[in-house]
Amino acid sequence: MSDTDTTDADEPDRAETGGRAMTDGGEPDAETDGGEPVADGTGIVAPDDETPTWRERKERTQGLGRLTYEYFERARREDQDLRTESDYIERDVLAFPTWPHEMIRNLSLTSFFVGLIILLSATLPPEMAAPADPSTTPAIILPDWYLYWSFGLLKLGPLNPELAILGGEKLMADRTYGVLANLVVVGVIAIVPFLNKGSARRPVEQPFWAAVGVFGVIFAATISALSIKNLVPIDSHLLFDLTFLLPFVGGFITYAVLKTMREGYMFSLNRRYYRLRPPK
Amino acid sequence: MSLERKEEHDHKGWMEERDLTPVEGAYLTVLIWLDKRLRVVDYLEVLEDLYYKVNLQMPKSHTEQYNLDNKFWYWYPLYALGSFSTIAYVVAAISGALLGFYYAPATTGDPSSAFNTVAFIMTDLNFGYMLRSIHRWSAQVMTAAVFLHMLRVYFTGAYKEPRELNWILGIVLISLTMVFGYSGYLLPWNQLSFWAGQIGVEMSLSIPLIGEWVAQLLFGGFTLTQATLLRMYILHVFFLPFVVTALIAVHIGIVWMQGIAEPH
Ligand code: HEM
Repeated sequence: MSDTDTTDADEPDRAETGGRAMTDGGEPDAETDGGEPVADGTGIVAPDDETPTWRERKERTQGLGRLTYEYFERARREDQDLRTESDYIERDVLAFPTWPHEMIRNLSLTSFFVGLIILLSATLPPEMAAPADPSTTPAIILPDWYLYWSFGLLKLGPLNPELAILGGEKLMADRTYGVLANLVVVGVIAIVPFLNKGSARRPVEQPFWAAVGVFGVIFAATISALSIKNLVPIDSHLLFDLTFLLPFVGGFITYAVLKTMREGYMFSLNRRYYRLRPPK
Repeated sequence: MSLERKEEHDHKGWMEERDLTPVEGAYLTVLIWLDKRLRVVDYLEVLEDLYYKVNLQMPKSHTEQYNLDNKFWYWYPLYALGSFSTIAYVVAAISGALLGFYYAPATTGDPSSAFNTVAFIMTDLNFGYMLRSIHRWSAQVMTAAVFLHMLRVYFTGAYKEPRELNWILGIVLISLTMVFGYSGYLLPWNQLSFWAGQIGVEMSLSIPLIGEWVAQLLFGGFTLTQATLLRMYILHVFFLPFVVTALIAVHIGIVWMQGIAEPH
């Protein structure tokens, strides 16, 4: 309460329970306006019912700010509509207790995984190579395994097109080509959500995209193998061909299998789904 | 209004008339002491308000809403991979901080001080070899887990609207994780580090247009020198830890806000 000399008997109690009591306080506005100026500092913050609404803020602003508030208002109305519509169901939190149940489960999972890391470290400690020596190039130059794919993309020289217009010259150096290939791969992965939309989640619902995924995984493996071709006991031309062949084989097999599974699977899925949400 | 204390502000008297346990008493004393200076209670109220608004109004989860049977979907264990990446990241951070006490990023001397300090950690320092091993393995495990996490997100279609931003943030994260690994790989300054660094310089140089600038920025020149090692060190122990930790927090925060995408 911004006003302390109120006559209402249970007003002090309310004031103690915090700001929320203000809104149902009754008729204090008249008192605040008419009475002596309040100097106890409590009036500095606008009470709840004086906080400007989106509408009032909108009326005071113009330009982009105004648009923002108009949008806020719309969004709130939309939320409200969604809430009142029956298919947006809210609930109180009724759940598994965080302490101790959830915490103990998390702790045991965490200790298990940390234990796993420690076990690996104890059994397979890393080695230390010879000190750096700029004057001798070692036979094998390798990054860590998770960069093999990028390293492999640098070895795509044979795929760099030789343009007839340029008289058989390559448009760019093989090295530049490889670096660009890296950017292309990362870029393509980044825009996946904008290429594949819709609500399907399970691979079986979209055999094509599952096939693309399997293609990608196998390609990541084969291009990594290509990057260490001097360590792989396969003829390097064969390896190069396999690098591009295997992903397609994997992709086609995935597609065929999922497409076959789809018929029966979608039937039961649709039946259950549409029973719950009949089409409009 | 006078400056005299009012009855209702006599918190001390109020505390005395109640029958408080020592813990409650101590708690209230600290709370009141802080509140008089920092207005803690206001902020607590804001937090509480936020908590109820956020938590008590959750929409029903997809399975609840459509009463899809609570069958355990056989992909669910894979949903732990994101958390597993985080755990491995934390282990790497702790072991890395400990390694940092003994490592020096200097190429001076033959072999270099960097190499010597790592050798010291491995041979002379108590528990040092294990420490390096743990750091190494947690980094490897994290990278593997992040990659598998990405596959899980892909194959469960969890990147679709409204989660596109988190997917892109994930791409940034996996790239930074690899840069993390790469910069760490250079730190022991052994033959593998040196020549991996060499490839890095060459890759930067072959970026069209801005290649030389990138090589200067990341490697401090076109050959590997003290400047290279120092830049990798700062990337690895200062720059990336802050950036990656913040991005992981945002990433998980977004998951918290949006909820886990459930299969249909
Ligand atoms: C440092 C690396 C990363 C960490 C620590 C991390 C952490 C997490 C965590 C804890 C979750 C909660 C769900 C789960 O555990 O599966 C999650 C979800 C998610 N992550 Fe990551 N992540 C990382 C990298 C990535 C990458 C590389 C991608 C994809 C390119 C990605 C995309 C997503 C998406 C889209 C979700 C939401 C999935 C859903 O709602 O089901 N994250 N992340």
